[in-house]
Amino acid sequence: MAGMLDYTAGNTMLHRLNPLSKVALALGICVAAFLSDNFGFLLALLVLDVALGFVGGIRKKTLKLLAGLAGICAFLFVLQVLFIRSGTPVFLFATDEGLRTAGLVVLRLIDATMPLALMLALTPLNDLAGALVKRAHLPYKYAFTVTTSLKFVPVFTDEMGAIMEAQTARGVEFDTRNPVRKLRLMLPLCAPLLITSVGKTEQAAMAAEVRGFYLRDRTSGVRDYPFRALDAGAFALVAALIVLAVVL
Amino acid sequence: MTTSAPIIDVKDVTFSYAGAARPALDGVSLAVAEGDFLGIIGPSGAGKSTLMYAMNGVVPHYHQGEFYGEVRLAGADTHETSLTDLSHTVATVFQDVDAQMVAAEVEDEVLFGLENFGVPHDEIPARVDEALALVGITDLRERAIASLSGGQKQKVALAAVLALRPRVLVLDEPTGALDPASSRQVFSLLADLNERSGITVVVVEQKIGLLAEYARRLAVLDEGRLAYCGERREVLAHADDLLRIGVNVPRATTLSCMLRDEGFPVGRLACNVDEAQELIEGIVA
Repeated sequence: MAGMLDYTAGNTMLHRLNPLSKVALALGICVAAFLSDNFGFLLALLVLDVALGFVGGIRKKTLKLLAGLAGICAFLFVLQVLFIRSGTPVFLFATDEGLRTAGLVVLRLIDATMPLALMLALTPLNDLAGALVKRAHLPYKYAFTVTTSLKFVPVFTDEMGAIMEAQTARGVEFDTRNPVRKLRLMLPLCAPLLITSVGKTEQAAMAAEVRGFYLRDRTSGVRDYPFRALDAGAFALVAALIVLAVVL
Repeated sequence: MTTSAPIIDVKDVTFSYAGAARPALDGVSLAVAEGDFLGIIGPSGAGKSTLMYAMNGVVPHYHQGEFYGEVRLAGADTHETSLTDLSHTVATVFQDVDAQMVAAEVEDEVLFGLENFGVPHDEIPARVDEALALVGITDLRERAIASLSGGQKQKVALAAVLALRPRVLVLDEPTGALDPASSRQVFSLLADLNERSGITVVVVEQKIGLLAEYARRLAVLDEGRLAYCGERREVLAHADDLLRIGVNVPRATTLSCMLRDEGFPVGRLACNVDEAQELIEGIVA
């Protein structure tokens, strides 16, 4: 999953959209997914998610994300079907009610997760923070906290990878196919990872402070994030999706 | 006026990190004149980074501990001046180049400090251009930082602080993660900035070869104490003692020391291969 949240540069319609519109669009799709009980609508949202990824020029990432989510969802689907006992049995332990609910849950999960991940892949974190501060009047320190923590995700993934590689070279079986065993091997690594991360966070905080972090306010940013016609379109789409989710 | 006040004045500083058994700095006094290029060297744990932190105010503002003595930066007592205010004079490049990046793209990284320090918005584009051009990375402006090499990232970190037009630049092992060619590039850039823009440079570095070639003065630390501080050739002349401390001297310098000890007329110690060649040619002739 490394790199899934990394920004992918480009100049597509979605790249040009105001970061706040992208957040609204992503959240709008999430809300619509949770409001709707309609299979057709949820499938349409899934198509919309994938289409957004394609329009944003990140085909490969979108499909990889979809495949990853599908794997998790297959597992969830089976679990749900196993545990929901109401309804009439249709096949072995599965009931019609169980299949329907499980289907809805996994579709919703995919529908709601994809837009947020895609939004992050199509928005530079600094623009997201900038727009949140300038337009949504979020205090800068909160915006900085969010962007910094997201920025550290790939840094720590790399760090973990490096520790695992070093351990593998010393004979620890990280290349095992057994996920439980792999997890048990990974747990003791959390301590060194935590120590490295505290060190890195401290350096990041110092570096930000000596570059005037505490002087920053809402007016500091050079970039303005105006809303354009394209953004009005995005908001209209959000409204339409929510209305459809309620009506259908 | 014959002598101007030093821009960094470290007076008898002793500092122990909270909970540490022995002081990281032990009675260190050192003055850095404006426009100087000072290299700080010493074995691991000698207190190099702590001395650098004392110079930029990170000690005592960021790291807690017992602090005795006084550090003045452009006349201001670092103890009484906030880290933010000190940052108007001194810019710092930290060791971990990845951790100190705040942005995802090169341009945003350079913008960060300029925006924070309230540089008028109409001046900012020119300052960004200038900083990028100064370190020769104008072509990287739009690039994602994650896609850059170690040397390029180091240059971005430099550009980000140079945009603030500091009077003093302190760097903690800027070539730590770099190959020899990139290390040399970073140092020749620092020397260039020092000469052309008159920026005072203080650099903590393990690679003695680079310091011997580019720094004007050297400070050698040994277990928290200042063992030597002076013009680089004067300091390097103590090759045997430096080796005892744990600092290797460039081979060219060792060679000139040996020639000197054998009674050959060595006027000036050689710091690099070219100078050594010149020296030997002089002796042979």
